[in-house]
Amino acid sequence: MAENWGQLKSFEGKKFEALDAEFTKEVSKLIGGQDLTACFQCAKCSAGCPVSDKVNIQVHELMRMLLFGFREVLDTDMVWLCTTCYQCQQRCPQGIEITDIIFGLKNMAFRKGITPPGYVTSRKALYDNGKLYEPTDWERDDLALPPVPHLDVAETRKVLGKTGLMRLQEGE
Amino acid sequence: MTQTYEVFLGCAIPSRFNYYEASMRAVAKELDVELLDFEGASCCGTVVLKSIDEPSWLAISGRNIALAEKRGHNIVTPCNGCFGSLKDCSHVLHNNDAARKATNKALSSQGLQFTGKATIRHFVEVLYDLKDEIKGKIVRPLNGLSVAFHPGCHLLRPSKVAGFDDPELPRKVDELIELTGAKSLPWGLKLRCCGSPLLIASESVASRILKEKMISAKDAGANCIVTNCPACHTQFDIQAIGMKGDKGESFELPALFVTQVLGAAMGIDVDALGLRLNRVPLDPIADILGL
Repeated sequence: MAENWGQLKSFEGKKFEALDAEFTKEVSKLIGGQDLTACFQCAKCSAGCPVSDKVNIQVHELMRMLLFGFREVLDTDMVWLCTTCYQCQQRCPQGIEITDIIFGLKNMAFRKGITPPGYVTSRKALYDNGKLYEPTDWERDDLALPPVPHLDVAETRKVLGKTGLMRLQEGE
Repeated sequence: MTQTYEVFLGCAIPSRFNYYEASMRAVAKELDVELLDFEGASCCGTVVLKSIDEPSWLAISGRNIALAEKRGHNIVTPCNGCFGSLKDCSHVLHNNDAARKATNKALSSQGLQFTGKATIRHFVEVLYDLKDEIKGKIVRPLNGLSVAFHPGCHLLRPSKVAGFDDPELPRKVDELIELTGAKSLPWGLKLRCCGSPLLIASESVASRILKEKMISAKDAGANCIVTNCPACHTQFDIQAIGMKGDKGESFELPALFVTQVLGAAMGIDVDALGLRLNRVPLDPIADILGL
């Protein structure tokens, strides 16, 4: 099921160098990562996942990679093809906050420059405008809607300056 | 009794679905729900920013919440994305001391603090509370409307955060829809994500998910899709346009917002509900809606 996203297409013939316990620990510290090691591979997450049949590496496999400490997980298509629907997290019998863990993995991947280009564009829009899209004023006029409340972009830029949004990747 | 909220519109509604806002305001007026402007609102934070950098997401989302808190108001939003983002942010900031401290540090230069005082609600939650009032205002029953209601993900999940309806068998919005005489059908992929968040990463995968949804809705015998989220609506009322099956059969279905359905049954003028602005033609259900 080849998709344009994710360098790690299969476990077939793949040799993993070592089990990196530090990586597992690092992921456990992410928002939602506290119960990571409780995963017993029932694969209920993958059973309800809308992209299970559309990715190379499914979500229960991603969870296994995290427990084995494989940093290569950041190269799987599952990370960025997660729709954030929360069905895996909702149904996990071990209460693992799977979707939230995947958000943290996306953060890690983004910092390494592993990201669909759309996220780079959106980051800039969010920083520059404080919003993803601008209002369609003529349509609002037609419907007699009030103007969209004013946002002073300097305020959101200041906040995002503090969190370092535009300095996440090396060399930024 | 009048209820008052600051209304958080987000980015997608004023950009693409102004008719959702128009129909929300029209219905709110009928039900005596006062919607105040959300001065200084930015993007909600969204799953997009949460995907890129969680501290930035918490700060942007937390800033919006803190603005309403400072003015002593509660928040209502008609968007699942904004609802999910603001609720999730509030959940994290309530439970994670380190994240709350870092977020409040980023906000302090603007005299803002997240305190957790503001209630964050989806507009359909407010509507559900007013179910009896709505029932009494139905003057134009929508008999014959067979609805595939798509609740969307972030209205329901994770239920620990969303706290709205049963995550496996949601019925609340369906009950509202059925007050109008319409039928809210059971359908196989009702709880399945619409695929919209993937439009930014892979349009082809987003489109495959949407196709599965459309097949499921059609198989159930629906003559329209109803949503309560502009991100989901982007799939059903924009991306679905021209979508065809292997035999050339159309996968389009008229896509309505829940506020347009309720508004039409309450006898509100079709233009005030923006019912001529939906992109997939409403012809097959025009008579039912009074168009």
